Amino acid sequence: MNTNNNVYTVIYTTLIVVVVAALLAFVSQSLKGKQDANEKADTISQMLTAAQFGTKAEFQKIGNAAVLAKYAEEIGEAFTVDVNGNKVADLPLDKVFSPKELKRQNYNIKGGANKTGEPEIPVFVFKNGKTVVPIYGAGLWGPVWGYIAFENDLKTIAGAYFDHESETAGLGAKIKDDPAFQAEFIGEQPDFSQANVFEIVKGGAPAADGKSLVDNKIDAITGATMTSQGLDAAIDTWLGAYAKYFQTAAPAKECDMPCCQDGGECENKEVEE
Amino acid sequence: MNAKLKETILNPIFKGNPITVLVLGICSSLAVTVTLKGALVMALSVIVVTGISSLILSLLRNTIPGRVRIIVQLVVVAMMVILVDQILKSFEATYAIDKQLSVYIGLIITNCIVMGRIEAFALGNKPWPSFLDGVANGAGYGMILLIVAFFRELLGSGTLFGIDILNRFGYVPNNLVILPPFALILLGCIVWVQRSIQKDLQEK
Repeated sequence: MNTNNNVYTVIYTTLIVVVVAALLAFVSQSLKGKQDANEKADTISQMLTAAQFGTKAEFQKIGNAAVLAKYAEEIGEAFTVDVNGNKVADLPLDKVFSPKELKRQNYNIKGGANKTGEPEIPVFVFKNGKTVVPIYGAGLWGPVWGYIAFENDLKTIAGAYFDHESETAGLGAKIKDDPAFQAEFIGEQPDFSQANVFEIVKGGAPAADGKSLVDNKIDAITGATMTSQGLDAAIDTWLGAYAKYFQTAAPAKECDMPCCQDGGECENKEVEE
Repeated sequence: MNAKLKETILNPIFKGNPITVLVLGICSSLAVTVTLKGALVMALSVIVVTGISSLILSLLRNTIPGRVRIIVQLVVVAMMVILVDQILKSFEATYAIDKQLSVYIGLIITNCIVMGRIEAFALGNKPWPSFLDGVANGAGYGMILLIVAFFRELLGSGTLFGIDILNRFGYVPNNLVILPPFALILLGCIVWVQRSIQKDLQEK
């Protein structure tokens, strides 16, 4: 057979492309459920890590099912807010935001051509009073995102976890891999009154006695200026969008606290338990 | 097993190693050798892709129109790479490592070893030897990857497969080792060692 015939060539290539495309579409569809479940468990373990329920390595070890169970046990409420700090809608307790959804909301916050609607950004409140919010932005090579947890005063950072798609291993990748960098956030207080909510400072944040001051500044990563700046911008953008929520919701929470200590709400809870 | 098949399998491992002798696949060997685990998953992925795409194309070799053979090869290799990526993403155990390797799994398609072996071997040989040739070349590539990753993880992070080896003795991980240029230096050293053992590789 003459395999160099034009008709044969066209038919052959068409056929092979159709067969391969059909196969890939089938595989992609049948594996999608598993992949989404993996991504969801990964996202949840990031939130749990930020809220200091354990380390990422621990969550990876216990497996997806245990991570979901832990989350179901700890999560109190979840809802979305707009940039004015008003609650938009309640979220089901098993709903988390994938990096893709964060990306869409990132466009909505920043505006411009890719904006699809008004920002509706999620707030996750755990039963122990910690509030976790996501951040998303551009690193050096690809997107960076993560979660920042706040104490129940809604002012002090309780923990943070960051992830990235393709930052340089050993340098920018430290935002994810270096627990020491993430630990720097603990105890700091973002300044919601200004546009520069949080700063990752090149050359060292102000410190006394070797400890970083309680302010909105931490040390950047050596050798990863661009990633540090990208993460800084991502935090500013997202915490900026949450600023109204944190400023308006904070007094209400503070009021709750004494009530709880006086035994008002807690007593009821104890009876229930 | 006859001598020719044996040669097909053993040659790519040492005498005709795709990285150190043919100098193919350098790019990914710089990128994925920071940790042993990453290098191992990458090596296995490449073995699967080279082995099976060599097999498929060898089966199709008499039907492929000569003028579009590169395109047909690309389609088959791309299919294999996407399949491997999708499967790695689907299992709990490999999800994290797939995330870490990110684009490099997808970039196996541009790895010259795959296309090189198909062009040079699979299109002119029967399916079984072609499959073995693909697997052996993938293994030769993987072996170098693991050697480089061994030194980079040990000296760059003080660990092996994530288990602390040197740090407990107060070793300070060397940042230079983590950066891609060091992989090139290591590769150079491996080529040097191989050429001093295998004198016929030296140019007169």
